[in-house]
Amino acid sequence: MLGKILGDFKQERIRTGLVVLAMALGIAGFCAVLSAYGILTRELNQGYLATNPASATLTTDKIDDALLAAIASNRGLSDVEARRVVSGRIKAGPAQWRNLTLFVVKDFGKIRVSTLQPEHGAWPPATGEILIERDALQVARARIGDMVTVKTAASQEQALRLSGSVHDVGQAQARMENGVYGYITVATLAQLGEQPFLDQLNILVAQDRFNVDHIRNVVAEVRKSVESLQHPVRRVSIPQPGKHPHAEIMGLLLLAMSGFGFVVLALSGILVVNLLSALMASQVGQIGVMKAIGGTRWRIARIYFAQALLMGAAAILIGVPIGVWGSRELCRYLAVFLNFDIGSFAAPAWVYLLVAVIGLLVPLFAAGYPVWKGTGISVREALADSGVSSNVFGASAFDRALAGMSGPFRPLLLAIRNSFRQRTRLVLTLITLSASGLFFMSALNIRASMINTLDRLFSAKKFDLSVSLASMYPFEKVERALRNTPGIVRAEGWITTRASFAKGGGGGAAKHGHGGGAPTNDGFVVIALPTNTKLLTPEISEGRGLLAGDTDAIVLNSALASSEPGTQAGSTVTLIMGPGQMSWRVVGIAREPFSPATAYISKEYLEQVGGHDGMANSVRLKLEKTDAASIDSVKASLDRSLEREGLRALASASKLESRFSFDQHMLMIYVFLIVMAGIIGGVGGLGLMTTMSLNVLERRREMGVLRAIGASPRIVWLIVVAESLIIGVLSWLLAALVAWPFSRALGSVLTVLMFRTPLDFSMELIGLVIWFVVSVSLGILAGFLPAWRASKLTVREALANS
Amino acid sequence: MISLRGVGKVYDSPAGPFGALKNVDLEIAAGEFVAIVGKSGSGKSTLLNMVGGIDRPSNGTVTVGDTPIQRMSENDLALWRGRTVGFVFQFFQLLPTLTAAENVMLPMDFCRMLPPRERRARALELLDRIGVADQANKLPAALSGGQQQRVAIARALANDPPVILADEPTGNLDSQTGDAIFRLFRELADARKTVVVVTHERDLSGIIDDTVELVDGVVVPGFRVRHAG
Repeated sequence: MLGKILGDFKQERIRTGLVVLAMALGIAGFCAVLSAYGILTRELNQGYLATNPASATLTTDKIDDALLAAIASNRGLSDVEARRVVSGRIKAGPAQWRNLTLFVVKDFGKIRVSTLQPEHGAWPPATGEILIERDALQVARARIGDMVTVKTAASQEQALRLSGSVHDVGQAQARMENGVYGYITVATLAQLGEQPFLDQLNILVAQDRFNVDHIRNVVAEVRKSVESLQHPVRRVSIPQPGKHPHAEIMGLLLLAMSGFGFVVLALSGILVVNLLSALMASQVGQIGVMKAIGGTRWRIARIYFAQALLMGAAAILIGVPIGVWGSRELCRYLAVFLNFDIGSFAAPAWVYLLVAVIGLLVPLFAAGYPVWKGTGISVREALADSGVSSNVFGASAFDRALAGMSGPFRPLLLAIRNSFRQRTRLVLTLITLSASGLFFMSALNIRASMINTLDRLFSAKKFDLSVSLASMYPFEKVERALRNTPGIVRAEGWITTRASFAKGGGGGAAKHGHGGGAPTNDGFVVIALPTNTKLLTPEISEGRGLLAGDTDAIVLNSALASSEPGTQAGSTVTLIMGPGQMSWRVVGIAREPFSPATAYISKEYLEQVGGHDGMANSVRLKLEKTDAASIDSVKASLDRSLEREGLRALASASKLESRFSFDQHMLMIYVFLIVMAGIIGGVGGLGLMTTMSLNVLERRREMGVLRAIGASPRIVWLIVVAESLIIGVLSWLLAALVAWPFSRALGSVLTVLMFRTPLDFSMELIGLVIWFVVSVSLGILAGFLPAWRASKLTVREALANS
Repeated sequence: MISLRGVGKVYDSPAGPFGALKNVDLEIAAGEFVAIVGKSGSGKSTLLNMVGGIDRPSNGTVTVGDTPIQRMSENDLALWRGRTVGFVFQFFQLLPTLTAAENVMLPMDFCRMLPPRERRARALELLDRIGVADQANKLPAALSGGQQQRVAIARALANDPPVILADEPTGNLDSQTGDAIFRLFRELADARKTVVVVTHERDLSGIIDDTVELVDGVVVPGFRVRHAG
């Protein structure tokens, strides 16, 4: 038996090699994403847990030792630490101001909760020094040792020495957020001119650390204690226990990737079907002889199943090392994206086990039908087999229709009709080739759709620059500053605040919708804007927008509305805003994909009921010029104008900057789909090469006849390449027909998974053109070698072939 | 027309070198209808392949018309074959995806001896001459064995070659159809085509001009028989 298996392999070594290579490619892809899933989910959570992350954070007012001691005595807690987060701005040298989030720590040497990892330079920072998160150094455009300028809401510009960098595992990648994370002591905070106090309690529950219900109960107790000591609790945040903020989204993405990896592996199994079908057809006589001398169906089938298993084993041996290398590269890329370090690249044992099992099962499963069918032939039929396929061209109506298609150039007709002779093989080949086209076109379509969706979102925002002010200021003073700033076409003063729905206790665990989605129990943003605003025209999907004269009317965006099931136009919601509660009438839902949960109310009404008459804490500006340099110039000029009025800008973001983060997320999906298309394209190309090789093998005699009646080797080469090219073009056609619904569905699945938002679908027509060129090239490349071998056959050899 | 001088052919086989033809000298005049006979493995088909430029001799020379063909390149040989030799095979060897007329037009496409517009008319004329004009648009699978062989003969005549070579052309046909095919070859020879047929048929008197017998790759001396026309 082993002799026959090895003999068959030797005889079919090139085709077997191609099939093994294609399967190895599939296994490598599957192994890479599955290993990356295993490694990243383990490392991400391990790395996060190693920082001893807070179970919850309560924001109150000034925390004194008495409060800290009282909370620490709670037996439900194992630890508690005080911190403060202050917003500000930072700049290094001549660079523009960047938004800064300052974490104030009492004693860097004694951080026990949500620890930081020193990277380079000083640790701990001295008074007058600042540490910067390692990924944020690029955003700040600063180096360790530089002097940076920092200002906060209450402080004047202060020079601080950038003395070192830290790694803060719990923070999103600074480059993605386009902001800087800084770390200073309380003394440095005082030096900046801010009140030197801490206001956040980072608590760690003593038991059941990963039970969100338990954490909620403990938080409710702590909250009572804090409030009983006359400290109001302004905000409570409970992250998903034990999970890195990005672990869930990353796990889902990698699981989706693994699913696609499996699809690639399954597609490579198609090559096994083609190879074994051809092998079985050519060995009908041998099967007849084996049966005649006593071989049972199962005994004979075992020979071919063993061949399939051996091919799978060879593919595993080649594919797994490539997959391991691929997983390391993927992990490195995603680790940079998530700003965390990977301690070990060792994939869990279950990954190897699963890859091995599936790697062996796929070819075995693929071999099932051709082997069982091939070995089912009776001895009489097998021995009577003349080697001529029963599938004679011309037997079906489709063949006759093809024959009715005529043209002036017979060799081309021959190539076209030949491509349809082995229809099962053709269909299976087309599936792999079309799948790669689908993934490629989907990548472009999804990218175009995301751009389209973002374009629609951002087209509703008619402002080019958004500036958060350090405090609530009289708008007439702000207007004076704006008038003295060149380059501004229109400006509106808005009030931005936070709110939460008035229900439940501590709220549920935070859901980290990336770039949007459900609100955290931190609450959500409420924007009070003039009802006759010219700088925001939200797309109202239900109900209406705000109107002049509206009082308790509120418009929720889609992310906020979907976080409160049952909320629709006409509903009434109660919000906690500041110290009080207010009821609001939902008049409309604004469609804002990819956006965080946000509510819009009338500024006039808020001024009336909240006592903020003529005040604003943020401005939206429409500018004359919207290139980055012009925007930077307006920012700098506006800063000076505001300073002259005694006002201060706390943060600013241009439309361009706001889109940057979205574009980065988009890039990840895009790159993934392009890589998948490349891998499937490789499998498809090898599949086409195998198919052409089998076609040439089966038609060697016809090649001989062609040569005998005057065809030169070049003509034979051209006929074979043309057949391969036709299959390539057919695959393109098939992919082009399915691309629209497929990419629409795939895009929705991926973006709903990652961003919890559907897409405004858009078809990228250039994708059709590019993939046409790729299909044609793939067709020519895949046909080249079989065609070359066909053209090199001597006429005698070809004619002698039966 | 056809001249073989000291032609030998040795093939490498697992059992060692095998001499399929040994020092064959043969002259066939233009317009002759010659049958090559002999047992299986005697070298008949090898001899035919030498004449048709399908195989190259290990030694000796093969001249067809005025052309010594053994040193021609594969491309030149292909073109020469298409223009000079018409092949008829035992199993017809029509291309299954082309209709009868398209099969006949294919050699014309390869050799371009006729303008494209005239090729179909020529194919139909040949099919009509061979008696299968009504089958022109059918695929080979829809034709009987005899019809397929007639189409194959029409294909062999496509470029009006001076030489027709047939390897067991009736081996797969009933005797009645086989007789009809030989009569067709006779008509072609009468029309000044040189026809060489490898056959097992013994009783061809009255149809062929000459018979050459091969035994173990050697032309049997003195066997060449000129038949009465």
